[in-house]
Amino acid sequence: MLPAGNRPILEHVFDALVEAGVEELVVVVGYKRDRVQNHFGPTYRDVPVTYVTQRKQLGSGHALLQARSAVDGSVLVLNGDRLIDAGTVAAVADRFAETGDATLAVVERQETSRYGAVEVRGGEIAKLVEKPRDGDYRLINAGVYGLPADIFDAIEETPRQAGELALTDTLERIIDRERVRSVEVDGMWVDATYPWDLLTVAREVLARGRVVEAGRSDGVWIADSARVHREAVLQGPVVVGPDCEVGPDAVIGPDTALGDNVTVGANAVVQRSVIDADTRIDPGSTLMDTVTGQDVHLGAGTVVPAGPADVQVGTTIFEEQRLGAVIADRARARGNVSVTPGSLVGPNARLDVGVTVRGNVSEGAEVTR
Amino acid sequence: MCGIIGCVGRGSETLETLVHGLSKLEYRGYDSAGVAMADDTVSLCKTSGKIAELRSALDSASLSGSVGIGHTRWSTHGPPTDGNAHPHQDCHGDVAVVHNGIIENYQSLRDELVAAGHTFTSDTDTEVVPHLVETALESGADPEAAVREAVSRLEGSYAIAVVVAGADAIFAARNDSPLVLGLDDGATYLASDVPAFRDFTDRVVYLADGEFARLDSSGWVVTDLEGAAVEKDVDTVDWDPEETGKSGYDHYMLKEIHEQPRALRQCLRERVDEMAGTVDLDDLGDLSPTGVQFVACGTSYHAALYGAQLFREAGIPAQAFLASEYATSVPPIGDALVIGVTQSGETADTLSALRAAEKRGARTMVVTNTVGSTAARESDHAFYIRAGPEIGVAASKTFSSQLAALNLLTLGMAGSDDTREVINALRELPGDLQRILDESRAEEIAELYQDAGAYFFIGRGLQFPVALEGALKMKEITYKHAEGFAAGELKHGPLALVTSETPVFAVVVGDDEKARKTVGNVKEVEARNAPVVAITDGQTDVGRYADHVLEIPETHPRAATVLANAHLQLVAYHTAAKLGRNIDKPRNLAKSVTVE
Repeated sequence: MLPAGNRPILEHVFDALVEAGVEELVVVVGYKRDRVQNHFGPTYRDVPVTYVTQRKQLGSGHALLQARSAVDGSVLVLNGDRLIDAGTVAAVADRFAETGDATLAVVERQETSRYGAVEVRGGEIAKLVEKPRDGDYRLINAGVYGLPADIFDAIEETPRQAGELALTDTLERIIDRERVRSVEVDGMWVDATYPWDLLTVAREVLARGRVVEAGRSDGVWIADSARVHREAVLQGPVVVGPDCEVGPDAVIGPDTALGDNVTVGANAVVQRSVIDADTRIDPGSTLMDTVTGQDVHLGAGTVVPAGPADVQVGTTIFEEQRLGAVIADRARARGNVSVTPGSLVGPNARLDVGVTVRGNVSEGAEVTR
Repeated sequence: MCGIIGCVGRGSETLETLVHGLSKLEYRGYDSAGVAMADDTVSLCKTSGKIAELRSALDSASLSGSVGIGHTRWSTHGPPTDGNAHPHQDCHGDVAVVHNGIIENYQSLRDELVAAGHTFTSDTDTEVVPHLVETALESGADPEAAVREAVSRLEGSYAIAVVVAGADAIFAARNDSPLVLGLDDGATYLASDVPAFRDFTDRVVYLADGEFARLDSSGWVVTDLEGAAVEKDVDTVDWDPEETGKSGYDHYMLKEIHEQPRALRQCLRERVDEMAGTVDLDDLGDLSPTGVQFVACGTSYHAALYGAQLFREAGIPAQAFLASEYATSVPPIGDALVIGVTQSGETADTLSALRAAEKRGARTMVVTNTVGSTAARESDHAFYIRAGPEIGVAASKTFSSQLAALNLLTLGMAGSDDTREVINALRELPGDLQRILDESRAEEIAELYQDAGAYFFIGRGLQFPVALEGALKMKEITYKHAEGFAAGELKHGPLALVTSETPVFAVVVGDDEKARKTVGNVKEVEARNAPVVAITDGQTDVGRYADHVLEIPETHPRAATVLANAHLQLVAYHTAAKLGRNIDKPRNLAKSVTVE
């Protein structure tokens, strides 16, 4: 589960749903379902949660179909990896309740090329367009739907594309036959397509104070069970999760979130970064604009300078991203390691003492001098 | 083992409240269940089998009343039949009784009652109670006095709840068997454990031995056996009722295995200071024992074996005893601290052992998961493992938390040469354990060896208790033959059992003398063509002699024990799942064994 600040994005989605008055949650889980089930348990904020397993990841329509037996009647459907607010949920639910027609939230974005764009005419969806060129469209599909009970039949009737069932394919067929309402929303809407998006997501969450830990002073939130040395410096906005330890003269923040059970050693500096659960940052390390996964160990004197930098994902280069590094789950740096800004270090990678990482390190790779 | 529930003040919801409470207690015992309701008359319904069978029996029964009691039973006296299910009644059907524990003088009471003309309908010890109440009522006593008189005749262990026609109240008493009241606005509950009513209230009153309670529409009052009022503290429980749901897992046991990283963080919370390298043991004070004797049963005994080694490593003589043996043949204690390890805090054998020690003037402590439990209240000191409720009968997360808690205890009381390294390893344990949960290949091993005739487990030093625990888990939930041995002991007999049909699980961590010698034992096994599964951090070459390797991250050997055990939990779980066993409620077993 990807973090928004120091809580999973999915938890913020649940918050929005609960705050909008939703009384039953059904989650379709596939990848790492144990983690999701273990995190939320049978209820979230007194709302019962039912888990449904999608054994093969065959598209969003297929995912929704798995929930059929757990759902009775119409449904609100959302993506679990987009940060949204309760207003968006309520707007879709209200319009759907008024009309009974399938309803979808749309949001204005400059860069439509990353998303599914929509053409709206008179409060109705005229067309869905996957990843168009920037500038051709103004609105994108926010991924929040109000759908009638017969959506499940409609999905089953949709022909599979290369074995997959996308919910948007079904919606296109519905648009051809009947009305699909659109609701334009302007609340919080942040998605995490690329790992460095988590830095933006965290900034957004902290700026809006969507944090469960008690606030110690303006923009500084520290869990009761965290142990922060009195000579550590916390620069808000910053959140320190449960069971964290922060050593003397460490400097944490601004725009930084420490997940559960994170350890930051003496004299370490962590700024504009998201550090996920069980990660250890040893004394004297400096991390700027960095995302770490869970259970990452960074030995003494690990240095990640700030972006902007070019980031390579597959064959695509993303220029001038504000990213120090993404260091994935369980990667280990033994100490005195330098990471060039824009690097992506894969899960379980091993970085030996004194190495300099330039660019990407693949999963499980060992980097030695 | 058995579970009791009682409820007054819920009007027409009384019956549903009772059945709901029983379903929350089902983990304590499950071969029969029943409920009784009372107003001017007493009506009841009971059946052998699980709560689901009681529900269907209730569909065709008509029960009415303003107060009610219920029970799930796990047999000690008499087979699980409808007749032996609780509640039990007197000759006229005016009294109904539910009971946990064992009434030791029931035979003589029964003989006396039969001679006086009473007719018994069951094989249970419990049935003497309603007949004793009936006798007292006939001699003119009011209902409360009649129940008191009956209770005064009982010897042994009991938690009892009684309803009497026309009394509009529940009367309850306890001796050596847990009983707790739940206080709600306008309603009062009574149960052998908090989850029974935790969905309705978090305010509780724990009854002590020799106390008597009356619950009626005006509230509750606790008295001693002579009738003098007892001032009781009202506690608030912070357990979340939702933790008692399965949340998408197939079994509670798997859910609880996955809860271990969080449970460990809770155990360590605010007790370790990594920067300072110190451990703070709440308010245990300075105990500085010169010797330690552990008493425990089952999984907790394996934790105790581990704890004893930690104390010995710190230079303090320590031994672990099976509580049932200790209680009846108490060794010389000297000025040793006697530490009971019990998840529930209600394990009768462990309570007896602690009481035997206390009687000889020893200082006692309990390491337990249950605040307010009998062991916690009776011992001089209590140290909580904070694992949260565990529903699966086979212990999983509570074992890991016991090991973590015993590390804290030894570091806090005796220190260690490498305190900082241990604290470091403990802080890393949740992340390391999560890695095993995410990456373990245990299911493949289970798939390959689910049909094996027997399973053997070997380990040395701190990994010996893991071998025992790995075998116990396998026995408990797969019903297959499994044994754990000290690695060096294998060649002194058990090796004769090893064949190509018996997989051997070897726990090998580090590369010290213990690890190298265990590798030697693995070679002995390999030479007999037994399939070998090594659970190892890869520091030795044991992988060369093993057919399969279950990896654990390199860490302190004390933490490695917890990690190796997690693999073995998963092997047992997946084997049992493939064999279709009743994993959360294995046959013949109960979660908390409250009889000796």
